[in-house]
Amino acid sequence: MLTPFLALLLVPAPAMGAFLLLGLGPAELNRRAVQTVALVGAVLPAVVMLPLGAYCLMGTCDGIQPIFDLTVGDAVVALALKLDPLSAIVGVTVTLIGACVIGYSIDYMAKAEVPDLRRYFALMNLFLASMLCMVLAGDSIVLFLGWELMGLCSFFLIAYHVTSSRAIAAGRKAFVITRVADAFLLAALLLLFLEAGNVRLDALIPAGIAADELRQGLIAALILAGALGKSAQLPFHTWLPSAMAGPTPVSALLHSATMVAAGAFLLARFAPLMQAVPLVMALTAVLGAATALFGAASAVFQKDVKRLLAYSSISQIGFMLLALGLGEPEVAIAHFVVHAIFKSLLFLSAGDITQIARGTTDISAMRGALWSRPLAFVAFAAGAASLAGIPLVTAGWFSKEAILAAAWLAGPFGVVLWLVAMTAAVLTATYAFRPVFTGLTRIGRPRPSLGGIFTNLPIALLAVATFAVAPLVEPIMEFLGGAAPHPPHAVELVGAAAPFLGIALAAALTFVPGLSLRVARARRMRSGIRIDGIYQVIIVQPFVKMVRWLTGQRGGIADPVGSIPVLVAQRLTAAAIRPLAHDPLDRGWMGLGAGMVRAWGAGRRIQSGRVRDYALALALGLALLLLIAWGTTWR
Amino acid sequence: MSGFLTAALVLAAGLFAVGLFGLVARRGVLFQIIALEIMLTGPALAFVAAGAHHGDPAGQGMFVFVLVLAASEVALGLALYLRLARHADAGDSDTIRELRR
Amino acid sequence: MALTALIVLPLLGGIAALFLQRFGRDAERWFSIAVLAAALVALVVAWVGAPPEDAPGPQWLAMVRYQYAPALGLQFLLAMDGLSAALVAVSLALGIVSVIISWNIRKDSGLFHACLLWTVAASNGVFLAMDLLFFAFFWELMLVPSFLLISIWGHGDREAVALKFLVFNAVAGLGLLAAVFWMAATAPEITFDAFVFAEMGIPPVAQVWLLLGFSLAFLTKLPAPPLHAWLPDAHTMAPTAGSILLAGLLLKTGAYGLFRFPGMLFPDGFHVLAPYGLALGAFGTIYGAVLACGQTDAKRLVAYTSIAHMSIVLMGLAGGVHFAMMGAGVEMIAHAFSASALFLLIGALYDRTGTRDLRELGGLQQTAPRFAAAFAVFFSAALAMPGTANFLGEALVITGMFQVNWVLAAVALVSLVVSVVYATRLLKRIVFGAPIRACVVQDLTWSELGPIVVLATGTLLFGLLPQLLLVVLEPAVDAALAPLARP
Repeated sequence: MLTPFLALLLVPAPAMGAFLLLGLGPAELNRRAVQTVALVGAVLPAVVMLPLGAYCLMGTCDGIQPIFDLTVGDAVVALALKLDPLSAIVGVTVTLIGACVIGYSIDYMAKAEVPDLRRYFALMNLFLASMLCMVLAGDSIVLFLGWELMGLCSFFLIAYHVTSSRAIAAGRKAFVITRVADAFLLAALLLLFLEAGNVRLDALIPAGIAADELRQGLIAALILAGALGKSAQLPFHTWLPSAMAGPTPVSALLHSATMVAAGAFLLARFAPLMQAVPLVMALTAVLGAATALFGAASAVFQKDVKRLLAYSSISQIGFMLLALGLGEPEVAIAHFVVHAIFKSLLFLSAGDITQIARGTTDISAMRGALWSRPLAFVAFAAGAASLAGIPLVTAGWFSKEAILAAAWLAGPFGVVLWLVAMTAAVLTATYAFRPVFTGLTRIGRPRPSLGGIFTNLPIALLAVATFAVAPLVEPIMEFLGGAAPHPPHAVELVGAAAPFLGIALAAALTFVPGLSLRVARARRMRSGIRIDGIYQVIIVQPFVKMVRWLTGQRGGIADPVGSIPVLVAQRLTAAAIRPLAHDPLDRGWMGLGAGMVRAWGAGRRIQSGRVRDYALALALGLALLLLIAWGTTWR
Repeated sequence: MSGFLTAALVLAAGLFAVGLFGLVARRGVLFQIIALEIMLTGPALAFVAAGAHHGDPAGQGMFVFVLVLAASEVALGLALYLRLARHADAGDSDTIRELRR
Repeated sequence: MALTALIVLPLLGGIAALFLQRFGRDAERWFSIAVLAAALVALVVAWVGAPPEDAPGPQWLAMVRYQYAPALGLQFLLAMDGLSAALVAVSLALGIVSVIISWNIRKDSGLFHACLLWTVAASNGVFLAMDLLFFAFFWELMLVPSFLLISIWGHGDREAVALKFLVFNAVAGLGLLAAVFWMAATAPEITFDAFVFAEMGIPPVAQVWLLLGFSLAFLTKLPAPPLHAWLPDAHTMAPTAGSILLAGLLLKTGAYGLFRFPGMLFPDGFHVLAPYGLALGAFGTIYGAVLACGQTDAKRLVAYTSIAHMSIVLMGLAGGVHFAMMGAGVEMIAHAFSASALFLLIGALYDRTGTRDLRELGGLQQTAPRFAAAFAVFFSAALAMPGTANFLGEALVITGMFQVNWVLAAVALVSLVVSVVYATRLLKRIVFGAPIRACVVQDLTWSELGPIVVLATGTLLFGLLPQLLLVVLEPAVDAALAPLARP
């Protein structure tokens, strides 16, 4: 059956094809070919997705494109892709950001060797394809496929610099922690599958709502745990700051539109189910607000731009979770879109600036960026403005304001959350503008330079978008079926004042020497209040100890359980077989053997070789026989 | 049993025993061959005597057979003796003990 | 007839291969491939042929019954259902793979190929025989060529390891043999026909003991802790082809036995012992995975992951629910592909560098990108990435475990997490890092790439289009579960 939704299959397909061609294809490709394939694979999904989004806007926006159906026992496994307002909005965002980031990579990775470049682009395209699979999924299997493949890609991409043990360790850490989250999500999806007997999301969510209270609560909690892990929220956040070991465009994709943001998308996808369990909703909101504050506070103390942006992502997704926990998934998704734009912009422009500064990603590398790299710096400032939420002009303000409003309107419990979120918002402006102010300071006599077209075009597009999307934020919420919440004007004014307070703080931190020194010394805050260290002590070290003990590296027996039968067998030999080793019967037989040897030695002497002796023996024998014959005739 | 037959058989046994003694006691190969000949006459006599006793000509037939046997044996024995005498340069049967090995 | 050919062809082919060496260079290799290919044709013929009329159930695709010595109750009875067919196909394919990757074996090449073919023949016999005397015969027969493979062409302390392998499995095989003879003796008239035993109505207490006897043999081959000590040694010391056959065929015979017989012959015994099987599986999957994390020998590491994965199969089989059983079937096939491929890759690396020590390897990414890509693909399979057949299997088992007991499902999920630790360790030590010492190696050659591509295709094909496998397995699973449902 030919429907417009058939085009859904074509959305992830080009990126997947580019992955197969680059990653597993046997053909030798030169640099230009690799770049072309990667770019085509990244841009085509956007080309297909945009008309689909427009189609969705115009009319019926609820379509399913089946992939295949099969039955396992009584259950139906019907794989499908799905277009609805949620997947349309997120899909369009992801394809556009993906195209921008991969396009940008062409310049950024220009110095890489061709095989490395090939690996890089293969994985980036797979990363994009997986996220699209997850976003467009109409069933739990495709959803989980995309979800897991992202984890795999993130591992390989974070460990892209394969000779750096720090990068590999960061990749492993990211993979293990997100895998824990994956396990939670898998458990939730399988439980839902058992409830529904089907894998279609349309069937899973009602089945989950209809399930008994215990199961419902468990499933919702498991989904939340999965989202927390993937989105690097408290208490799973530790992997994200380390993940900065990968190239900057990887971080841009990882943080803005894929992987990290996937947790928020997941919760939005399962929003009806989550809303049926108030306790889990409250937990989501609390954890979201806490993470928002924690991430913002940690970001303020960072010395490294990329780590700063990493904590910023943690914090911003905390805001999304807050909205989700308050029952406003539409607001969360609007923030998702806005965040995707400004976060990728921040990463790309920061990457451009720091690359000029010979690879160091310290905030000090930003110094004088306004003069040395004007376009990138202005774009960074635009991104920072949106992140901070400068009122009325930036998209960031509209979406963040909606979240704060939702918190204010959620009753007394909400006011506490509002306070926490407001503090986070102030700190957000602070950390967002620290690099900006650093960039304003002029050093030496810099020569302004401009990157190539592949660097500048994505940055410029995204910079324009941070402002252009501003009027679209409310329509997006309405399109998703919600409405922008509006609190009393006084509250809105306080919200509008927050960024400016934060910016003032940032100026103080940058330009007042005493304060900037204190920030530089706050090691504990910089390392994310050392939660990493706690995990190291209570999980990693005992595990390593256990492994070393079980493999006999600590002086014990290697593989103790496997040794049991061997030891038992040895004991049995000792106890039962050894006494019988001096077997009397056996000795009798052996003695007989030895006796025969002796008898043979004796008998040998008769054989003299003389004819006469033999004749005598013959005669005696004959005589004996005659005697016997005679004897038998006796009566 | 008639006295004649008993006497003939005793004589035959005596001839055999004399031959056997010669065979075992003498070391010269030539004498041993002669002793063998004497041994053979014992059974030959016994055949003739038994044939006469039973009135059966088969006894005399057997005597002829023994004669042929003795003749061929002497021929073979003497040929061997010649071989030995040339090869080992000895007429003493005890010196030829290759069988022992 | 075609079924008989599946066993007889490789058996006789092995004898012929012994003498072919002198007829020309590589004659025995091409001959072995031809024999296995012919067996594959026979498999297709048996598969697509009309279903047998005298079969005791609709799940049987083909059957051969030949009265051998009726007075003694001996008959030659082969029957093939979906699971047997799939496993036989895998064993033939892995046989061909083993021949191809052993092209550089020069020592007693005739006997080597004979051993390969005999292993395939014996395992096919195990997968097909429904006369339990023949089943037990093939079960023991399998040990001989594998023993020779390890003790003649192995590495390191190969004689001792081969002996350990033989002693473990031969002693455990006695349990099977004793149980079979007991059943034959108590049958109304002497027979070894499994179908007759199934209808016999063995008393429940006897079922427990008989199932224990069967399980001793099957669990040792599987292998489930604590009976696994032979496996890491055997895998490590065996030549590459031996490791492949060990992982791809021998372990699967254990799982196959647990799939086929407990439900069919001892439903009451199954209900008594299944909880212990589940516990053993749950313990084994964590234990194997944790031990894999600490290995320094690459082959040993993969061997311990085999224990972890086969323990998941054990959980699936002991679960006694539809999803779990399907998952176990899928996981058997998936593990045959992925573990064989990893052994192949590590073997190829060993041929080039002369070491399997993870501390001495590294940097394949930069020196041999194709090698690295192949490692990455099967790395994904080892940690059950969605899209690989391994994920399908494990997800189905975990689904089933949720129906049986949530704790077991949680344990299986934990093993999924631990799998990331050992898999990334393998990748980190071999593929990543700076090239060390002799690790500047030649990239995969086409003759190595061919088998790799076949195995990868199998892994991904069944992962992405699971119906191909599920349709084949489903009737077998239904039939295996039917007796358990009876009160």
